[in-house]
Order: sequence, then C-alpha cells, then structure tokens
Amino acid sequence: MTAETSITFPWLSLLLWLPLLGTLLCLLWRKSAAACRYLALGTTLLVLLVSVGLAVSLETGAGGWLLFEDYRWIDAYGIRYTLGMDGISLLLILLTAFLQVIAVLISWDMRKHPALFFALVLVLETGIIGVFLALDLVLFYLFWELMLIPMFFLIGVWGHERRVYAAVKFFLFTLSGSLLLLLAIISLYLLHGEQTGVYTFALAALKQTELNFTQEMIFYLCFMAAFVVKVPLFPFHTWLPDAHTEAPAAGSVDLAGLLLKTGVYGMIRFAFPLFPLAAEKSLPVLAALALIGLFYAAWIAYLQFDIKRIVAYSSVSHLGFVILGLAAWNQTAWEGSVLLMISHGVTTGALFVMIAMIRQRTATREVDKLGGLWQSQPNLSAFFLLFCFASLGLPGLANFAGEILILIGVFSSQPLWGAIAVGGILFAAAYMLRLLQEVIWGPCCEPFDKSDLCRREWLILIPLALLVIWLGCYPQPALDVMRAPIQLLLQGGMP
Amino acid sequence: MNLLELQSLLPQLILALGATAVLMGGAWLENRRFWLLCGMLLALVAALCAALYEPPLLEVAGMYSTSLYARFCTVVWSLTIAATLLISCRYADLHCFGGGEYAALLLFAAAGMSLLSAASSFVGLFIGLEAFTLVLYILIAFNRTDNRGAEAGLKYLVFGAVATGFLAFGIALIYTATGSFHFAEALAGLQLDGGLRPLGLAGWAMLLVAIGFKISLVPFHLWTPDVYQGAPAPISGVMATAAKGAVLTAFLPLLAGLGDAAGEIKSVLWLLAILTMLGGTFAALPQTNLKRMLAYSSVAHMGYMLVALLIGGEVGGQALLFYLVVYSLATFGAFGVITSWALADEEIQEYAEIRGLGYLHPRRSSALAAFLFSLAGIPPLAGFFGKFGIFHAALRSGYTELAVIGVLTSLISLYYYLRPIIVLFMQDRSAYQLRSGCREEFILLGSCFAAILLFGVYPGPLLELVALVLP
Repeated sequence: MTAETSITFPWLSLLLWLPLLGTLLCLLWRKSAAACRYLALGTTLLVLLVSVGLAVSLETGAGGWLLFEDYRWIDAYGIRYTLGMDGISLLLILLTAFLQVIAVLISWDMRKHPALFFALVLVLETGIIGVFLALDLVLFYLFWELMLIPMFFLIGVWGHERRVYAAVKFFLFTLSGSLLLLLAIISLYLLHGEQTGVYTFALAALKQTELNFTQEMIFYLCFMAAFVVKVPLFPFHTWLPDAHTEAPAAGSVDLAGLLLKTGVYGMIRFAFPLFPLAAEKSLPVLAALALIGLFYAAWIAYLQFDIKRIVAYSSVSHLGFVILGLAAWNQTAWEGSVLLMISHGVTTGALFVMIAMIRQRTATREVDKLGGLWQSQPNLSAFFLLFCFASLGLPGLANFAGEILILIGVFSSQPLWGAIAVGGILFAAAYMLRLLQEVIWGPCCEPFDKSDLCRREWLILIPLALLVIWLGCYPQPALDVMRAPIQLLLQGGMP
Repeated sequence: MNLLELQSLLPQLILALGATAVLMGGAWLENRRFWLLCGMLLALVAALCAALYEPPLLEVAGMYSTSLYARFCTVVWSLTIAATLLISCRYADLHCFGGGEYAALLLFAAAGMSLLSAASSFVGLFIGLEAFTLVLYILIAFNRTDNRGAEAGLKYLVFGAVATGFLAFGIALIYTATGSFHFAEALAGLQLDGGLRPLGLAGWAMLLVAIGFKISLVPFHLWTPDVYQGAPAPISGVMATAAKGAVLTAFLPLLAGLGDAAGEIKSVLWLLAILTMLGGTFAALPQTNLKRMLAYSSVAHMGYMLVALLIGGEVGGQALLFYLVVYSLATFGAFGVITSWALADEEIQEYAEIRGLGYLHPRRSSALAAFLFSLAGIPPLAGFFGKFGIFHAALRSGYTELAVIGVLTSLISLYYYLRPIIVLFMQDRSAYQLRSGCREEFILLGSCFAAILLFGVYPGPLLELVALVLP
C-alpha cells in the first residue's frame, strides 16, 4: 500500500504545508495590509479547493486510507513522517478549510497588525490539518502543540478586555493535558520497543503492544487528559468560556469550530484504538460526565448575560452530546457524533460570526443592552434566527441530524442515557430561545449603526446558511464517507 | 613536549596564541571593531581546525585527549566565542570597551573551555577550569563605570574562589587515594568491590560541590542571578551557555569512568537534579527582570541536563549534548537580544521597560519570543526535541520520577517564559523606540533563530552527530 501510494503526488503534504507558505508570504509583505488580506484569502481558498477536489475525486466510500504518505524523518528515535486520510479526516479537513475561509473573511477589516494576524491564522490551519492527518504519534503531538502558539497570540493580542488572562489560561490548561500525553507516548514507545525490538511511534505498530490492564489504564488516562481538556468535557471546561469570549471573531470561530474537534478526533483515532479495554471500562464514566456537562453547561448558558458566553457554553453542551454518542459505542451513535461535530462546527462558527457582526453594529454583547434588532436589521436577524434554530436542533437544520442519530444509537444500547439526554435538547431550546428573544425581539435598543448586511457579510453568511440546511436535510453524502472508517474503528482495526 | 603534541593541540594553540597577538596588537592599534572581528576570525579558524584537522596523537602529555568528543566541544565553544565577539560589536562601541583586551580575553576563555572539555587528567581539568574562570572574573566587571558589574565580578570571584578550593581539595583527596591524576587510572583506583573507597567518596563530594558552584545547581546557585544581571549581556550569554557547558561536558566522561561504582554519586546527583529543577523553576516565577529570569531559567535547565548526565551512557549522553546545544542556542540568542537592545548607559532588562516593544522592534522581539518558546520546550522549536530526548532517556532508564518532575517543572516554567512575551506583544506601548539593530546582530540572531527552527523540525543530523562524537 505504501509503495503504491507514496509515488503519487503528495496531496496531503500539499494540503498541510500550503497554509504555512501563505504565512511566509504574509510576513514578507507585512507592509501592505491589503496584500496580506488577499494572500490569506487566496491561500485558504486554495486549501479549500484542494480538499474539495480530493473529496470529489477520491473513492470516498471505501474503508482504509484514502491517501497515505510515509517518509523517514528522525531515525535516531524511529520517528516517521506518516500522514493518512480516511473519511473522518476528510470531513474534518473540509470543515477546517471552509471555516478558515470564513475566519479570514470575517477579519477582513482587521486594523491591528493585519499581517501578523493572518499569518497566525494560517499557521493555525497547518496545525489543525496536521492533527487530522498525522499517524505517527510524535508528529501528531507536534501538530497538537503547534495549534497552541497561534491561538495564544490570537486571543492575547486581538482579544477583548480580559484577553491576556484568557490566553494564558487557555495555554496552561491545554498544555498541562498534553504533557501527560507526551509522557505516555514515550512510555508506550519504550514498552513496544522492549517487546518487539522495533522502536517506532507509528500508530499501527503501537496498537499491537501488549499491555496489562493497569498499564493500559494509566496510558489511557494520560492520553485522555490531553483530549478531554481540549473537547472540553465537564469538569475540564473552565478555560473554554474565557477563551471563547475574549477571542476575536476569527479566533472564536476556529476555537469552537475546529480546535474542540481535535480533542474528539484524538479520542477516536488514538485513545480508543490504542487502549480498547481501558476505553471500554471508561465508557460509563465518559457518558456520565458527558451528561452532566450537557445539562450543566446548558443551565449555565441560560444564566449568562454575554451573548458570546451563551454560545460558548452551548458548545460545551453540544460536545457533551458528541461524547455521549461515542460512549454508546455503536455505529449509529458514532456516525451521529461525527456528523454533529461537523454540524456544530458550522452552526457555532456561524453564530460567532453573527455575534461579531452584531457587536460591530451595537458595540455591546450584553443581552440587556440588545433587543429589537429585527426592526432595524431584518436580514441579519433572519440569519441569526436560522443559525439559532440550527443550534437548538430544529429538524431540517444541521444539528438535528447528528443529534437524532446519537439518540437512536444511545437508545439502542443504553436506553437510560438516551432518556436523560433527550432532556438536553429541551435545555438547548431554552437558552437559544432566550438568546433569540433578547437579541432580535423584545424592546428595541437603538443600534448606533443601522446598516443591514453589506456585500462581504452576505458572502460569508450565504454559504454557511446553505451548509446548515444541506447538513440538516441531506446529510447522506457525509454519512457515506464516514461509514466505512467508523466500522473499522469500532472493530478496533485500522488499515 | 614535542612537535606532534603541539600539532595535536593546534586549535587551542590558535586560540591562545591568537589571543596573545590580539592583546599585543590592541595596545598599538586602537581600532575596536577590527580587533573584535579579528578575534572572531581566529575563533572561527580554531573551530574549523578542530573540525577538520585530524590530530596525530590521541592524548597530549597525559592531560588532554584529542578525541572526537573533545574536538566537538572545541568547535562548539569556539563558535560560541565567535558569536559573542560578533554580537558585541556595537555593545563594545556603546560602552567604550578596549577592543583588543576584550577580544583577547574571550579567546583565552575559549582556549580554557576547550582544554577543560578535553581534559583527561585532574590536572588538566583544574588548569582548564581556572583558565576560563579567571578570564570571566575580569569580563564580568569589564564595564568599569558600572557599579553593578563590579559587584557581580566580586561576587563571582568569591564564590569561584571557594569552588576552586573545593575542587583542589577534592582532587587532592582522590590523588591521595589512588596516586594518579589520570582519569582512567584514578577512577579505576577509587573502586573497591563495586563501590567507591571512602577517601574517593570524600573527594567526589568535594568535586560535586565545586561543580555545583560552577554550573549553579541548587543549593549552590545563589550567585547566578546577581552575576548575570550585573555582567554585560554578551558575557552573561557566554556564562550561561559555554562556561556551564564546558563543565558539564568535562564531567560526563568523568562520571562514565566510574562505571558501576557511581551508585552513591548518582543518588546525590538524583537529589541535586530534583532540587535544581524545582528550585530554579520556582525562583524564576516571581522575576520581573529579563536577565534574572534567564539566570533562574538556566538553573532549571541545568537540572534537566543533570538528569541526562546521571543517566549517562549512550542514551543519556546523546540527550545531554543535544540539549546542551539547543539550550545554548536559545539562551545565547535571548542574551543576544538584550545585548542588541542595550543603551549606552544601561541595559533594557525590566519587563516594564519592554512593554509593547514587540511592534516597535518586531524582528528582535519575535526572535526573543521564539527563544523563550524553545526554552519552554514548545514545538516546533528545538527545545521540544531536547526535552523529548531527556524524558525519553529518563523513562528508558527507569527514572520515571525525574521525568514526571521534569514535565511538571516545564509546565510551570511556561508561566515565566510567557510573561515577557505577553509584555512584549500584548500590553500597550509604553516603551520608547530603541536603536534599530545593526547588521551583525541581525545575522547572529537570525542564525540562532534559524538553527532552533531547523533542529526543531529536523533534529536528525544533530542527533547523529552527537551520537557519533560521544566518548
């Protein structure tokens, strides 16, 4: 397999390093804000084009790696440059490429150090795509950490009032999880080396390592420490509201739409297949935490007065749903989880985009100071309504398809969990309707800028809206792509 | 001493004789920049010579080895000194340093450090160590108008003298026990039934104290922040990198020579490593001065390197040398940025003075941020693979507790590495425009930056080189 595919054009590497090239060009042309803008847009569009091209041209229904690359890298430690893309990675990369275009467009008027800003957004894209592609554990870890620095700067430099606090909190929280992951990776590598004499960090090889239950549990916990913080699963979510709230619009879109997904992806790609026994034992705990998070975050969201915080907590709640689906451990629930990840990326990304637009017009994010937006800006409000409904799981819109699949899957294996989770949808409706009511209806608070959507904003919102409707009405193409890989992952076997 | 022996010491001779020539010439011709560049050229020639010229003898006068390991160290220290001379160009102009003396002293230091890492007998070790420590006493207080520099020089002198006393006493005890100065004989003679003889143990204890002072291990580290703060920034850079590295590299074969008898020594080192990692990290947390923070950070990093040192063997040695190189690049670069920011009457050290500087001097600030990230061990910078190597070595040799403490301290260390970065980039501008950097500084900082980035994404060649030169 390697021999055959590695001769072909290295599409995955292209996808991975293209944004970094854009970064370099941005830094070279840092004197001109316009050049940087167009460079960033061009690069992200190119990445989107390549990934859509790949999605169309590849035989996506098949199991196994659609594309695979494997090269020598650091022989001294047996680290290899191994990239592989299956259906799940493909979907997540499509989501990444799409949301990055949105992130660039929403920051079009960035006045504060635009070159650096776009350069960091592009580095972040390389990091995220790398996480979704890497199959060598050290390579994965490198990309995993590579996401931190640009995000730290995006929050810390371009964020709102308490940006430095939020940036440091984000950095420390996520890094503390990852360092445990690093220790576990090295220990696993050493154990595998002692058993077989082959020192390698390749995922496929390390899966064959024989571990006793205690070892497996310890490793599993170390891996999960990194992933649950990123997801974030209750009670490890406390960094998220601050980071989301203080981040600039593009940062929030990337955080909610993409960074959280890397945590879930890490679980299904690495933690579960490497340590299946420990994973199986942990499922009830995961489910319990997911359920608590689902309700707790929804409840907190209901009590918030900052619209960005409401959406931030709604992310925690939705990701609780995703984890619940994983914990149910069957095909339907997993398909629902992956689908919900994609839908959540689009809807929450869209909501953060809308919040940025509202803030531009009203200069506030406080629900008390907002209201009656429909009267002055009907178009904007209509889109807001659509995305809020999508987020609360209205049938026919994006999140519904994922949630219903998760619920069906959960009911078939653990009816009790399912029964509790249904209530979560009700909670989601409560805080989302409150958000809608406070912002677009209610007594009118005069926005100081009454202009409705401009052309660039239409350009951002229409694709998002189309995608939300498409994912809600006809998710079949996405489900087809993920079916075979999920089957393989559930059987514990990877190609 | 015959001609062959002199030939074998060619790089060191180039450094020492070149230093003498520069010193003499400097007295006649007062052209600062010329002598600095001259010194840099000499150091580069010495490095080139050590790298390419195959010495005819394996050991010189029973005191210095000319192994690949020694040659590698000579190359690294000579390059460090060359870099120091290059980055000092404008700094020396600002502070009116005597060009000849400055260059000559640094070259002498390079010769001393190179002899120290090449030592194969205790006498050679003593001579090499004293040769560059003496030079440093002068260099620390080189800025004669600066009281803090004088204080730092005096402080280092007092601590250094005590350390020298311990070293001499330790060597004397070992000599009493074995009747030999030569490493191989002395270390073999110390062993008795797989352990150390009591006299040898006492001697080693003295040695450890001396080394603890020199590379500032906790609890012998108290001089470090004051001296680094008072010394001129380029000299602090040398002290934090090459001066400590030379001692560590000299110590590595010494410990390896003990073999299995090193059990007791290793348990002391184990304790020192833990104390140093924790002590350095926690002491660095409240710092608001860049140089003091870097001083404590260097203490903490010595702790990591001590872990690799005590593991020893191929795995530990490789991790140690790799770490030493990437740590030196980053630390030297950080001091290089401070050098480049220096004003005529003072250096910019306090965090309050660099607020918002990141957008006034983007290149140097980004370089500083990259050096700090590398020291914190964040990929894709070289510091990550340095730490990776050390944790790998520790886990492989069963020192799980050291690896866990190392991971925890790296996490905590992030706080003090992030602080200057936050101040530089995320706070509102209160800083005034400093001088724009000159070409030499940009060349040097650019190469340091490129190197830590390169070794961060492609550490393979350096790892192989390091594995090749290990004794």
